[in-house]
Amino acid sequence: MKRWIGVVLAVVLAGVAAVAIVIGNQGDGAPQATVVRGVIGSEKKPFFDDPEVKAAFARHGLRVEVDTAGSRQIVTDVDLSRYAFAFPSSVPAAERIKRDRGAAVTYSPFYSPMAVATFEPIAELLTKAGVLSDSGKGHQTFDIKKYLDLVAKGTRWDEIPDNSSYKARKRVLLTTTDIRTSNSAAMYLSAIGYVANGEDVISSAGQIAKIAPVLAPAVLDQGFSESTSEASFDDYLALGAGKTPMLVVYEAQYLAHVFAGDGAIKPGMRLVYPSPTVLSKHTVVPLSGDGDRVGKLLTEDHELQALAARYGFRTTDPQAFAGLVAKTKAPAAADLVDVVEPPTYERLDQLITTIDAARP
Amino acid sequence: MRLRGGLAAVLVPALLLTAGCGGTEEAADGPDVLRVLAGSEIKDLEPLLERAGSEAGVTVRLTYTGTLDGADQVASGRADGNLDATWFSSNRYLSLIDGAPAKLSTQTKIMVSPVVLGLKPAKAAELGWDRRQVSWADIATAAEDGRFSFGMTNPASSNSGFSALVGVAAALSDADGALSAEQVATVTPRLKEFFSAQRLTAGSSGWLADAYARDPSVDGMVNYESVLLGAREPLTLVHPSDGVVSADYPLTLLASAPEEKKVLYGKLAAWLRTPAVQKEIMTGTHRRPIVGGVPLDARFGAGQLIELPFPNRRGTADELIATYLNQVRVPAQATFVLDTSGSMKGERITALRQALVALTGADSSASGAFTRFSNRESVTMIPFSGSPRRPVPFTVPERAPEQVLAEIRRYAEGLTALGGTAIYDSLRAAYGRPVTSGRYGSIVLMTDGENTNGSDYAGFESYYRSLPQDSRRVPTFVVLFGESDVEEMRKVAELTGGAVFDARETSLTSAFKEIRGYQ
Repeated sequence: MKRWIGVVLAVVLAGVAAVAIVIGNQGDGAPQATVVRGVIGSEKKPFFDDPEVKAAFARHGLRVEVDTAGSRQIVTDVDLSRYAFAFPSSVPAAERIKRDRGAAVTYSPFYSPMAVATFEPIAELLTKAGVLSDSGKGHQTFDIKKYLDLVAKGTRWDEIPDNSSYKARKRVLLTTTDIRTSNSAAMYLSAIGYVANGEDVISSAGQIAKIAPVLAPAVLDQGFSESTSEASFDDYLALGAGKTPMLVVYEAQYLAHVFAGDGAIKPGMRLVYPSPTVLSKHTVVPLSGDGDRVGKLLTEDHELQALAARYGFRTTDPQAFAGLVAKTKAPAAADLVDVVEPPTYERLDQLITTIDAARP
Repeated sequence: MRLRGGLAAVLVPALLLTAGCGGTEEAADGPDVLRVLAGSEIKDLEPLLERAGSEAGVTVRLTYTGTLDGADQVASGRADGNLDATWFSSNRYLSLIDGAPAKLSTQTKIMVSPVVLGLKPAKAAELGWDRRQVSWADIATAAEDGRFSFGMTNPASSNSGFSALVGVAAALSDADGALSAEQVATVTPRLKEFFSAQRLTAGSSGWLADAYARDPSVDGMVNYESVLLGAREPLTLVHPSDGVVSADYPLTLLASAPEEKKVLYGKLAAWLRTPAVQKEIMTGTHRRPIVGGVPLDARFGAGQLIELPFPNRRGTADELIATYLNQVRVPAQATFVLDTSGSMKGERITALRQALVALTGADSSASGAFTRFSNRESVTMIPFSGSPRRPVPFTVPERAPEQVLAEIRRYAEGLTALGGTAIYDSLRAAYGRPVTSGRYGSIVLMTDGENTNGSDYAGFESYYRSLPQDSRRVPTFVVLFGESDVEEMRKVAELTGGAVFDARETSLTSAFKEIRGYQ
């Protein structure tokens, strides 16, 4: 139950400070704690809600209160003057905020590679279709190029030979969140965009015009998509392959459950890694002195780093994450070599807008 | 949202719907009160939600409304300020409306129920569907051959009907991805086959279940799995092999909610997702839990349920609903018995004119667009005062409906108020008209006062009971307005299998719009 995100607060706020003070007085032994308010991507909310995380900040005299918003919303819609820091889920969004707000530095205290959550019978079909293979390094690799070939051909699940386990008429399509609102979908778009662009980071409007029609079916033909990565992961965990045969996730979403041993990850569920993949680098943009302290603490405080690892994030200290993986025998990739950079915020935004306009 | 007790079960869902609809009535507030705009589907959770007070520290105040009407309220911003959250069976249609996503903050899925077919066990056995997997195409073929009949809610007013329509269209179109507006046109002939077997319609899934229970000639229902599993007479559930569309009941915080309400929202959502409450939802309301750790009961079946893609463009969704109403469904035969007695003078007759004009295409809201008189529909007006006046029939053509809609509009604008009130003679006149086979008949009775002329309720009741079976199947939807005799109006609705709609605290327009879901 750790990961549910219902306590998430909205973007548009009224009376923020007053409430923050009320909450700020709940006994943490540091009555004079400074309230620091940030706006963050929803997947980090359970981390900030954790009492141990709150206690760790309190030991440094801080009470950190967060509201959530999609990374694109943080850039475009959120009134950042209300906040001491922004904590979007990707570097391009953070760089854009840094530029807009004239921030001096950014901190990237933890990151999570984009991964694919699937199921054993689906993994077998993907292997038959040549999309999935053993990396030889203990994890399975999801080949984006071969996948895009299947998408281009419009292959349906029931067309894969010797398929007796998943005879759905649906096309073989990764489920993603809504590219217009959710960072995880944008990160995925970066990876498939890189491949469609001839193994190169998208850097021009001309490239976008060329690849948008290729990428549009991969994201739009799946139909309605959820607005947050937590909602689609709910579907994966509770409804299984019938609804979500394979889902683009943050590695951390899946591993947090494995590390917690809460039983949500059932036998038959599989975590595999796209090749290439993109790292979602959660990046703090300080907007005030207190915000800067939060960024610094998240990056340098051993306790906070260890707590972040418990939520499945990879931190600057690889030992914490590696220790949890070893302890829980988690299916985490030890060594991801095929990692590509996302395009700049403006290019990615342009790609999203172009794809979204591809269907009236 | 407690109702006055002692009502016949058949009336309850509709009454609840009207009770809080229209958004004019502000839910009572308090420091621990979360004001939630909800679909009537979640009414069965009320006993559980009462415990949220002691167990989660949240008092839940529910205001019920229809799916599309609720979407209107949220998208237009009318919900801002007097409501904190929404709880519909799905946010999908709402999310497709321009500007609506910005009105929504956190969404937390609470439970799941797929929309499937439930059949009387004997009928399922006769068709062999209790023993083997069938697809929607198999079901459509049997429907076209007249081998079974079913009831389904109106897709424009209820999520279960909309989900079923999306599912059936996706399956019958043989589409391998999200349906496009063009594909809707291609699949229309197949949809006609499937829906030729529809014998019951309704504005809400709960009312549909009640209407089904009282009509032994209907073989089954397309409804939420939860409703079908909870039906009084057991049903055999058919989960089509090619897939379904499921409701996921997202408890959704409105972006406009004040800070303290956000905290309440968080508490309620967390509590609803605790394993104990999830298990209780499953056992008590037959819905599937959303939390992975709660094992599924055996009655949900072991088979894998494939979820069909849902459109991601509002144009497709709207095209699908419009196609259903104007081309696919069994056309309606709607009779309006309208009080134009002297007491209707002034504002009241103006309100009646407006309510009728709104149904001629004048209402451009999301819910209004689908409440206009549909193509192929026959509409008969029987205004009355001291006696019923001559019935005035209209038939909206299959194509280019504008001219007839304009005629209805002119007719409505010409209504005048004068004279006494002969309710039952007029209702009798409506029931005396022949029933056209191949049409779905219903009567709307709107009166603002007591019966002053002609036969009384008892006289009408004995007349009704003497009618042939096919005339008795026509329900009367009564509209409470002005000084209506509430008890007698309820009796009329109960006798005929209709429902009561209260326009006294909302408006005639909203009551008429809501009734459209039942016609």
